[in-house]
Amino acid sequence: MPLKINNVSKTFRDKKIGDNVVIRGFSTEINEGEFVTLLGPSGCGKTTLLTMVGGFQSVDSGSIALDDKEIEGPSVERGYVFQNYALFPWMTVGRNITYSLRMQGMPKDQQEARLKELLEMAHLTGHEGKFPIQLSGGMQQRVAVLRALASRPRILLLDEPLGAVDFQMREILQNELASLVEKAGTTVMMVTHDVSEAVFLSDRVLVMQSGGGKLMDDVKIDLPRPRDRSSDQFKTYTNGLTDLLRKAFKYDKER
Amino acid sequence: MGWVYFIILLAVLFTVWHFAAIAIDRDIVLPNFAATMRQFFRNWTDARVMNGLFITLSRVVRGFGIAVAIGLPLGILMGSAKIVRDALSPFMNSIRQVPIMAWIPLALVWFGMGDGPSLFIIAISTVFPILLNTISAVMGVDPNHINAAKSMGASLPKIILTVILPSALPNFLIGARLGLGLAWMMVMCAEFVATNEGFGFLILNSQQGFQFPTLYSLVIMSGVVGYGMDLIMRLIERLLTSWRFKNAAENK
Repeated sequence: MPLKINNVSKTFRDKKIGDNVVIRGFSTEINEGEFVTLLGPSGCGKTTLLTMVGGFQSVDSGSIALDDKEIEGPSVERGYVFQNYALFPWMTVGRNITYSLRMQGMPKDQQEARLKELLEMAHLTGHEGKFPIQLSGGMQQRVAVLRALASRPRILLLDEPLGAVDFQMREILQNELASLVEKAGTTVMMVTHDVSEAVFLSDRVLVMQSGGGKLMDDVKIDLPRPRDRSSDQFKTYTNGLTDLLRKAFKYDKER
Repeated sequence: MGWVYFIILLAVLFTVWHFAAIAIDRDIVLPNFAATMRQFFRNWTDARVMNGLFITLSRVVRGFGIAVAIGLPLGILMGSAKIVRDALSPFMNSIRQVPIMAWIPLALVWFGMGDGPSLFIIAISTVFPILLNTISAVMGVDPNHINAAKSMGASLPKIILTVILPSALPNFLIGARLGLGLAWMMVMCAEFVATNEGFGFLILNSQQGFQFPTLYSLVIMSGVVGYGMDLIMRLIERLLTSWRFKNAAENK
């Protein structure tokens, strides 16, 4: 079992506005090769949970372990793709992608070989000399994913990877992301508030309740890939999850 | 097209000067245009002038180097650690309010005649724009860039070298450019009193010798040299941060 999240809680303490419980007793397990999505309304603590798996924030209580090793900080074992990609604008695409390899002290020729392999995987061959600013949003996203994959992490963490993209572009990029992740064969944990994105990409969707960060439901998406957004089963899943989200929001109101 | 208007404006200015000088007919107020220009072009081959210019430029480069050596590391430290910033800001914000001219008597006492006071004046006038811009540049580093580097296994020295420095570089260069401009202005002040060689000394000397076309030509020359230094800084900016000058992709 690669990732175990066990009874995790997190509270943001603020003297002026009081304490804010963002995650409350959250537990789940993510299996090898699984694509799991955290779905929930904004403010449900899903991104906070992801940053704790990333190691950028610590848990208040409970534990998060990868391969039975407790997470204590950021590591190359967990590749992280940020919402705005956080590509280094002063580095070329190639140097962005090989960054973690250089930090690991990998020999130059091996770096080159890995870069070539990654570029081919994402159809970006020939773009390695460009700067991120010279790429379209979709290409920047693929570069960010490649950069996170370069050191072959055990798990890939995606924080609303398509959050900044308009509707028409979203579906195209979801297709690209799906094929990229499938080729890489890694375990993925993604955060999104977009129901159809969650159904399209995930094996399992964890619905989070807003305000309090509790796990509300764990939905297995049992559909063959590549998935057809217009199929009836797809719509059944999206309708079901949309209802759940509505409930998730109501819980918040009642509290 | 802007440069065409620049040439026209320059021609107008020179024409006005030429006729005004003839009308006024007093060198002390406005020297003859042609005589000043002749002197201006002669300056570039005049050993005494070029020697003075060389001495001053070498002071600027050394003083500027001292300012960078102090301002850059201190700026990185103050920008990244709040405790250092809080402790040092009151000193920084009071010292930088002292008028540059007020340092000159002190500098003379500390360093005596010669290079010392000039270097001190250049360094102290340059260090603050560099320091302030470096602090704000480091404070403005995207925390996700640092997180990204951490998640890719970068150590703290590597993060400073590969993330904080390059991301602070554009603002640092703006500070350096402002500082260099100030340094070129302030070195003249120091050279008026604290030395008997250098470009500032030549300017003072020509005034005291009533050589007004020379005085005017030297003042113009100092503007041209300052402009040249600014151009070089802009060139360095383009070279070091070339990624900022690429065209963005069209299909965003």
